[in-house]
Amino acid sequence: MEELILKLKKEIIEVLNLEDIKPEDIDDNAPLFGEGLALDSIDALELIVLMEKNYGIKIKDPNEGKEIFKSVTVMAEYIDKHRTK
Amino acid sequence: MINHWVKIEKDKVVVDGKQIEIELSESESLLNTIYKNKIGDYPKFYKMDPLCKLGFVASELLLDAEGRREEEWGEKRGVVLFNASSSLADDRNYQKTIEGDDVFPSPSLFVYTLPNVVTGEICIRNHYYGESNFMVLRGLDVEKMSQILNATFADTCTESLVTGWVDCQSEKEYSALMFIVERGSFDEAELSKL
Repeated sequence: MEELILKLKKEIIEVLNLEDIKPEDIDDNAPLFGEGLALDSIDALELIVLMEKNYGIKIKDPNEGKEIFKSVTVMAEYIDKHRTK
Repeated sequence: MINHWVKIEKDKVVVDGKQIEIELSESESLLNTIYKNKIGDYPKFYKMDPLCKLGFVASELLLDAEGRREEEWGEKRGVVLFNASSSLADDRNYQKTIEGDDVFPSPSLFVYTLPNVVTGEICIRNHYYGESNFMVLRGLDVEKMSQILNATFADTCTESLVTGWVDCQSEKEYSALMFIVERGSFDEAELSKL
């Protein structure tokens, strides 16, 4: 799981252009939206694309997305269970 | 009368006629370097497309030259920009995400496929609630720009405009000439000299 969390952090930094932020700056359990990284709605769409493109996971229900993107740990656990690639 | 102006080309930055020293490196673009050295407090900058970065950096240098004021401009200041390439730089980048078999359109690139996002970003950053307009012309046409600026001042609330030419064809091909004009003082001949 630790390896997946680190990979995920690197992917998030890349797709969201989080310049000057390193994987170790992202708290595994901190909220991604509202506080923590203070991401916005466009970032949420970009994360949905990341999930499909890199892990073959399609998120269709916005409420489901809210739960999945609670933190990097929650995202990684969801990916671990549902990934198709 | 044009009191303050900024010109940005791919290897040169001039503010009010004075060239600004920027230490360039191979790993960092001119616009990123200016942001890091002169601005640095707006992380959203890194999410912007090349056109938006150009307009944002030009406006920050321009407003620094003018001197930030405590009182907000609100509706009294508008932002009217012009170019010939519209949002071409970002359009090209976005197109790459919708080509081929493995298609994953990028939402963050899509939002910048309109040039007027630049004027919006400048208005949001500076709390300007006046006219916000981005006109795409065939080329840098001082006469046409002057007509549009004079027409913008025909309303009852615009006292001042952040305006000019902000054109970006790619990350490496761009030019900006941005300036501030006040109601009743705009002189087309002056613009031709910049």
